Amino acid sequence: MKPFTFSNRVLGAAVGVLAVVYLYLAFTLEEFTAVSVPVQPATLPKWLGAVLLVLAAVLFFQKQEDTGEQAGSDGDGDEASKTGGGAPARPAAARPALGRLADPRHELALFAASIGLYIALLEPLGFLISTTAYIAATTWYLGYRRHWANALVAVGVSAVLYFAMSDFLRVALPTGPLPF
Amino acid sequence: METLQQMGAGFGVAFTPENLLFVFIGVLAGTVIGILPGLGPMSAIALMIPIAFGMDPTTAIIMLAGVYYGAIFGGSTSSILLNAPGVAGTVATSFDGYPMARKGAAGKALAIAAIASFTGGTIGVVLLMLIAPALSSFAVSFGPADYFALMVLGLTAVVTLGGRNITKGLIAAVVGVMVSLVGIDSQTATLRFTFGMPELYEGVKFLIVALGLFALAEVFSMLARRGAGGADGAMTSLRLNRRDLGRIAGPTGRGSILGFFTGVLPGAGATVASFLSYSMEKRIAKDGDTFGSGNPKGVAAPEAGNNAAAVGSFVPMLTLGVPGSGTTAILLGALLVLGVTPGPMMLSDRPEMFWGLVASMYVGNIVLLVLNLPLIPLFAKVLKTPRAVLIPLVVVFCVVGVYGLSFSVFDLWLLLGFGVVGYLMRQNGFPAAPMILGLILGSMMERSMRQALQISYGDWTTFVTSPYSAALLGLTAIVLVWPLVKRLRSGPKAPAAGASPDGAQKEEDTASTP
Repeated sequence: MKPFTFSNRVLGAAVGVLAVVYLYLAFTLEEFTAVSVPVQPATLPKWLGAVLLVLAAVLFFQKQEDTGEQAGSDGDGDEASKTGGGAPARPAAARPALGRLADPRHELALFAASIGLYIALLEPLGFLISTTAYIAATTWYLGYRRHWANALVAVGVSAVLYFAMSDFLRVALPTGPLPF
Repeated sequence: METLQQMGAGFGVAFTPENLLFVFIGVLAGTVIGILPGLGPMSAIALMIPIAFGMDPTTAIIMLAGVYYGAIFGGSTSSILLNAPGVAGTVATSFDGYPMARKGAAGKALAIAAIASFTGGTIGVVLLMLIAPALSSFAVSFGPADYFALMVLGLTAVVTLGGRNITKGLIAAVVGVMVSLVGIDSQTATLRFTFGMPELYEGVKFLIVALGLFALAEVFSMLARRGAGGADGAMTSLRLNRRDLGRIAGPTGRGSILGFFTGVLPGAGATVASFLSYSMEKRIAKDGDTFGSGNPKGVAAPEAGNNAAAVGSFVPMLTLGVPGSGTTAILLGALLVLGVTPGPMMLSDRPEMFWGLVASMYVGNIVLLVLNLPLIPLFAKVLKTPRAVLIPLVVVFCVVGVYGLSFSVFDLWLLLGFGVVGYLMRQNGFPAAPMILGLILGSMMERSMRQALQISYGDWTTFVTSPYSAALLGLTAIVLVWPLVKRLRSGPKAPAAGASPDGAQKEEDTASTP
């Protein structure tokens, strides 16, 4: 089962809604009247919105095709393993499965939420603490069992990144409660 | 003859120990910075400018040029190994480079990238030397209408390259252009689509969208696949056999020449060059249908193209004083600070600088090859990192890249948003590349469109009365309609082809190679 894959009907409708909202916003843009200009700020947006609406309609009525997991993206993923030929499919047991939840959709939502939490805590806690905690927690959650290596990577990567950025490149990352 | 003499003098400049050392430093620094996802040639050069300040201007520009092509090569390394192109110019490399790496041929992909880059750079330098003057006079005759048409063609070419579903590709491209229009309108200072948020006034930065759609979305699907189907880290040797070399020779050569000429046109830099040479090879290759699933030609063509274009973009900067790309614009700024004004007079006033730079490009390309081939196994070690460790690390690199650029937590939320959008897009067969290109070209397109209409007093026929523009738009129409015509011509088979995208794709691509 492929999580979050929708039919062309649903996709076409979603893109259509986006196009209508965009067109509405484009038509509410103010005309520029100070100097006469051949292209108003809204000219291109109106065209874009109209084109998107047409494309949405075309997609809506298009016959369903098999959208492989990454069909259009960069043609990697499924195709790579399909056409891999030489590389035999590995037995699932040979590789520790990532994550813990049965439903991949929940797993993905949780993952997105964890990134959100990391972003939210970046400035209050500072880069060093939040990044160390994020790497350690995610790596542990995903099922990596060598806890010492995990801790080492989490602390090491955060520290190296932090000091390389702040001392060498002079990019000030948030310090948080730590004195440096 | 005169050119040869001057070239000899140029090598005299390039081969002084000091300049050799700085070419080496520049290429090394550029490669290392370019490998980091998110840091591209622009940031690399910007970071190195303070170091260049105390130097002799000739040495400084030689070093900065080394940083430039080093960074482009470094960017392709992260495209191939992580599918995280930090640089727009190497997005096309990831299409086939990353699948190759996932199939365990990372070493081979990197070696091909190194060789194609080297060839592209070298051919570019030869062309730069031979026909720079003539070319720049041609590029000067390109008006805004022609640029607009060129960008439309570039965008359409990328959509048809996306393959399977042209409708979805076009939707992605249109949305990309839409995203590029967010912010303060450069001509009228009107706020567009900012929803009252000051953070959006300056628009959505390319880096955020690129890292979100590619790197972060990749992490999401890695997780959804539960780590299956990933690269198993089996590093094959770097060695290319004669058959491999034979296969990539054609794409490399064509990509180099196409890339150089694209690079000369201001605005159409390494990015457009790499996409154009990729789509051209996909069309003319007999095995075009395997592009996107790890075809070595799909690595060679864009790599040769973007390196040749990097060299090509020096042509307008050095001969006209007009930078051909964002990166050469930064270089131009650095030169002005050093007290050198590039332009038509540079060739006569500072010949040692012009030819010294050209000669050092040869040297830099050799350094690039010598430096990178031995280091490839080291780069490829990245692939052996366990997925559970790699996933949070990629997230952290994305966050650092974005935060270090803007110091804004808002941009991080945007990054997460584009990551989610990117994942949904790939789950539903929407290609990400046209969206990225639309984002890059969108604002430039609008500017050219405005300039063209300003010149013609609002007369829209200007886009078809200019011969270049008309030809380019005509080509665009052909590129768009061709797949449809193919499908119609195949008659009764059409529904079947429509039902199985694989078949349709194959048919389209093989049919266009007579």
